[in-house]
Amino acid sequence: MLRFIVRRLLVAVVTLIVISLVTFGLFFAVPSSPAKVMCGKNCTAEDIAQVEERLGIRDPLPEQYTNFVSGIFVGRTFGSGDFERECPAPCLGYSFRNDQPVTEIVTQRAPVTFSIVFGAAAIWILLGVTLGMISALRRGTVFDRLAIGVSLAGASMQVYFFGLILLYLLVYATGLLPFPTYTPLTENPAKWALGLLLPWMTLGFLNSALYARLSRAQMLETLSEDFVRTARAKGLPLRRVHTRHALRAAITPIVTIAGLDIGTALGGTFITETIFGLQGLGKATVEAVQYLNLPVVMATVLLAAIFIVIANIVVDVLYAVIDPRVRLS
Amino acid sequence: MRRKIRTLSIGVLSVALVATGCTRTTEDGGTGNGNEEAKTQTGSISYEAADNQGPAKAVEGATKGGTITVLREFDFEHLDPARNYVNVQQLTTGLIYRSLTGYKENGTGEMLLVGDLARDPGKDVNGDCKVWEFTLRDGLKYEDGSPVTSKDVAHGVARSFAPQLNEGPHYIQQWLYPGGEYNATYKGPYDGGKPAPDGVETPDDKTIRFTFPEPHCDMPYAAAMATTAPVPAAKDTKTNYDLRPFSSGPYKVKSYQRDVALELERNPNWDPDSDPLRTAYPDGFRFTFGLEAAQIAERLVADAPADQTAFTWTDVPPAVLSRTTTGPVAERVVKGPTQYTWVLNINTQRVTDLNIRKALNYAVDKDAALKAIGGQAAGTPATTLMSPTTAGFKQYDAFGVPPTGDAQKAKDLLGGRTPELVLAHANTELRTQQAEAIRKSLTERGFKITMKSIESSSYYDEVGRKNNPYDLYLGGWGSDWPTGSTIIPPLYDGREIGPEGNQNLSYLNDAGISAEIDRVRKLPAAEQDAEWMKLDEKIMREFVPVIPVYYDATYVLHGSKVGNAFLSDAFGAIQVNTIHVKQ
Repeated sequence: MLRFIVRRLLVAVVTLIVISLVTFGLFFAVPSSPAKVMCGKNCTAEDIAQVEERLGIRDPLPEQYTNFVSGIFVGRTFGSGDFERECPAPCLGYSFRNDQPVTEIVTQRAPVTFSIVFGAAAIWILLGVTLGMISALRRGTVFDRLAIGVSLAGASMQVYFFGLILLYLLVYATGLLPFPTYTPLTENPAKWALGLLLPWMTLGFLNSALYARLSRAQMLETLSEDFVRTARAKGLPLRRVHTRHALRAAITPIVTIAGLDIGTALGGTFITETIFGLQGLGKATVEAVQYLNLPVVMATVLLAAIFIVIANIVVDVLYAVIDPRVRLS
Repeated sequence: MRRKIRTLSIGVLSVALVATGCTRTTEDGGTGNGNEEAKTQTGSISYEAADNQGPAKAVEGATKGGTITVLREFDFEHLDPARNYVNVQQLTTGLIYRSLTGYKENGTGEMLLVGDLARDPGKDVNGDCKVWEFTLRDGLKYEDGSPVTSKDVAHGVARSFAPQLNEGPHYIQQWLYPGGEYNATYKGPYDGGKPAPDGVETPDDKTIRFTFPEPHCDMPYAAAMATTAPVPAAKDTKTNYDLRPFSSGPYKVKSYQRDVALELERNPNWDPDSDPLRTAYPDGFRFTFGLEAAQIAERLVADAPADQTAFTWTDVPPAVLSRTTTGPVAERVVKGPTQYTWVLNINTQRVTDLNIRKALNYAVDKDAALKAIGGQAAGTPATTLMSPTTAGFKQYDAFGVPPTGDAQKAKDLLGGRTPELVLAHANTELRTQQAEAIRKSLTERGFKITMKSIESSSYYDEVGRKNNPYDLYLGGWGSDWPTGSTIIPPLYDGREIGPEGNQNLSYLNDAGISAEIDRVRKLPAAEQDAEWMKLDEKIMREFVPVIPVYYDATYVLHGSKVGNAFLSDAFGAIQVNTIHVKQ
């Protein structure tokens, strides 16, 4: 198992190096000069050159990339004289618009995104899988048909539609819920939960629809497998057959999808964050693009990739835990 | 000045008083059309002791306490006084730091320019407007309890010369160093520079003296801008100061997370007796950034408990407008004209035929252009270059064209030609809709229009390039104080045209106009208003460099527990100096 994990980690590191190179390339591919944007009005060529110096974009590209990578591990210094800025490790760059290291910006924004995604994921996995399992076990009943109908509707909707409807109904029209806000969990857990309830409900319902349908299909397929029939024939209690045997087999592909979904959501919550006015990583990325705050763009793109890579590793490991055959292959 | 025309949401900058430092204007110049009538701003510089003394007049029924929330789409560009040149930014930072002078307002239009840090609006030492002296009040303190001195004001002025902090207004800098780049020789106090520019002296801790080579009777107005806010050298964190200005006002920065939120809390060392402008009723302010315009409007329409103490400076978008015109929501609307005039600039380098420029004026449907962004809530059709809020304003219409245009006259002027023109617009939703409305009317009336969408953040950079490839593009302009001197010269003096960063977006370059600008500038202050207005009309009648489209208006909402929310005549946005939370 350890060898399996190490192998996966090595692949992940190589992937991240490639992604960092591509992201770094993108930094220089944009048509506008970040120095010009940051320099403000009445900027002379000399002023722009000074900003470029501060941004560290006058050195040869390979040197800049090396500085970028080494900064992640040992930190670095941007600018000089009165305008010198320290960027301690792990330094993902320095945003002169925010006048702070990008790592700090990411650290401030990430908890919002993490709270939205993990809270919603808990709902969609729990609700979706439970509904799917019950539907499969009660195939053909009213419950099954209702659950399938609702999940079909859910799977057909988008967050920018359903979220706005919930926002209108629960916040603007009736005032049942407050407009979503983020309060750190450590500061006030109740306020944290109440402030995020709406995005959780939205994402939770929409994604649980997909999971319900998937779980139901997987469970039905598993229930018809020989090993389940054998378990039943051996006289095992139905509950044990369903949970120990059928569920374990049915859940494997769901784990895969859940891992990737969470990884993708962590890197792409912009629409959700915009609809609910929450200042997470997605919103930070789009704002950074608007202001050509390229160090932040680079860091968030890189982070999104890291989330996907990590999600893949976690999925692979979980897969191996659930299904030992994976480890052998 | 350019920053003022960046986007619709930036709004009007600064001052709105009388023509010069020496006159009083009370003339009205309404535009009608069903909207709130735009008026020439009324008020004056007051040397009356009663006007200049603190504390500020109490607001009836107001009590201390509570937190006001300001809901915003975007973060402020800058809080640093040297870089502060946007109206709502100036309103916000007026809570954190004070300038030498300021505007005393109560929502009735009786606006006075009085001393803020200074005891009065400044002394014209020799009576020729060349030497101005300001004396600071007693008992002025920073957030740490240390005294505010004139040397700190001088340091504030000095650092505004630094190239790294160049986004603010440049009146005082250019007046000190006229005839070219103001910071060509003096680049600020950093990197071994002199502590203060030439012409700025501080004979003692209470006095600051400005000596200009030329007369500048507008100095009391220029002193109201954040350029004269005190910055102690020991607390100057250079570009970092943007994120944490050191307070000399009633509030200090509690926390600031860029693009997320700014929180202000009371400065315990601010003395209300020293301040004739601010009542500082709320315990704090919280500015929330990153919200959509529709979200903000919906929240304020809903008036949920958490939003009852909130307001916005963002105009209600057209989709929500209909729900704000009746019932209790209508009582929470603050609306009125601003100092902006929006014109469709005609690039006179490319569109050289005067008849085509005239035909464009007949062809544009101004009503449709306004409806695209909210109709009367967004403004009223314009016919002049300067806004009706400008001193000396006189309504005229060079073409006598109805707001919907005159198709026949446009076609007659074109004489069967079909000019092919490129219409550029910022790529925001509202500006795109507006450009489409303009395109439609022009196309129907004989023009062939190609639309060109430009990223909004670089819109003015693009059209501000002398050799830009566009024929038509919208631009808005609001004066720093409502005289033609802050409108006609920057927009229509051809000598100011450079390779890029231009404010003269029609690129009109006529020696006669430039000479006329020089002539008016040299007139006695009291005579200038009418002459700027004459020049406005002359430019429109003889050169037709633009199509005046609309006089801007603002239309915003506040929560039901926000008290004394009124539109500042000086800034064209809700004033925060005397706002309060209804208990």
